[in-house]
Amino acid sequence: MSRGLLVIPAYNEEGVLPQVLSEIAAAGLGLDVVVIDDGSHDDTARVAAAHGASVVSHPFNLGYGAALQTGYKLAVQRHAPLLVQMDADGQHVPGEIRALIEPILAGECDLVLGSRFLEPSGYEMTALQNLGRHAFRLVAGLLGLHLSDPTSGFQAMNAHVLEVYTRDFFPTDFPDVDVLLTAHRHRLRVGERPVKMRKGLRRSSLHGGLRDFYYVYKMLLAIWSAPRLQIGSAGSGGTGET
Amino acid sequence: MNQAQKLNELRELFLSAPESESTRLLAIAISLGLFVTVLWLVRRGSLREEYTPIWMGIAFGLTLITLSPGTLAWLTRAVGAWTQSTTVFFFGELCLVAVCLSYGVRLSRAGLQIKNLAQEVALLRAELERMATGQGRGAERSSVT
Repeated sequence: MSRGLLVIPAYNEEGVLPQVLSEIAAAGLGLDVVVIDDGSHDDTARVAAAHGASVVSHPFNLGYGAALQTGYKLAVQRHAPLLVQMDADGQHVPGEIRALIEPILAGECDLVLGSRFLEPSGYEMTALQNLGRHAFRLVAGLLGLHLSDPTSGFQAMNAHVLEVYTRDFFPTDFPDVDVLLTAHRHRLRVGERPVKMRKGLRRSSLHGGLRDFYYVYKMLLAIWSAPRLQIGSAGSGGTGET
Repeated sequence: MNQAQKLNELRELFLSAPESESTRLLAIAISLGLFVTVLWLVRRGSLREEYTPIWMGIAFGLTLITLSPGTLAWLTRAVGAWTQSTTVFFFGELCLVAVCLSYGVRLSRAGLQIKNLAQEVALLRAELERMATGQGRGAERSSVT
């Protein structure tokens, strides 16, 4: 059985990757670091490899969600017991990863989200982002999943979650509260731990302009259509731990 | 005579107007042209057989309407239209919506298959290079094309 994987989806991130990978190395986490190069046009893959990360390169750009799912598929292929995902833009602090892993190693949760809002962290969002977060919190809460930061991409998960997330429903663009609800519906135990985050080292290309509206629209549609299939044996029974 | 009665009479006038022979010939030519074009595209390999039913259906429907003049008049009355040309446009739009939806479904399926293939290629490349370089750290890089 391999060690856990730390998956970092990256698209044109050659500028910030060295700092992120150096911080990860300094944290001494004992995880195999894998950068999923999502068809970058710059030297993302070379820079990542030069800083000691394994690199899996998509032949062309598939989207953030697809890059994450490639990492999940790699973890399944390697029989990794757990996977941590973090962004390549420097927003997520490698030193917080242990806090995410602990509940999984202790068998308390199947999926743990790093929350910026479980404890006061001073993290600021734009008004629109805040509105979206509260809307998703409300929708998720109505469906029985109570989370303070459902849009957090800083997550750790075990093999049960990986088995579900490698299926075809997983979105190629923005996997957020819709996939969390799918995990919840599969009776996987979703929990949160407080983490500190900082503003990304560069502006994220994921949101902005009309994309924010498309994101909200797409997410509501995805929440409505999230697979309702129950797999029973995947998780250990509980839900929504915080 | 009130306005509703006047409008009904006017509508009946429209509906009972004889169909122009040139319009009928044009419609027959278009439907036959559509049949021939679809068959020709299939023959030269530009259109796969599984994409043809909807186009053949449209061409067949158009031929049917053209060859039985009463059908279009009956349809026009049924949908509440005033003129037969309105009915043709209405059903033409419905057909286009069906075609677009059908392509949307096929595109979604094709997109999913392409994504799965690309992921598989990336993972296999990484695994190959990992094996070739003795599983060293940083050695799993697959080539960027």
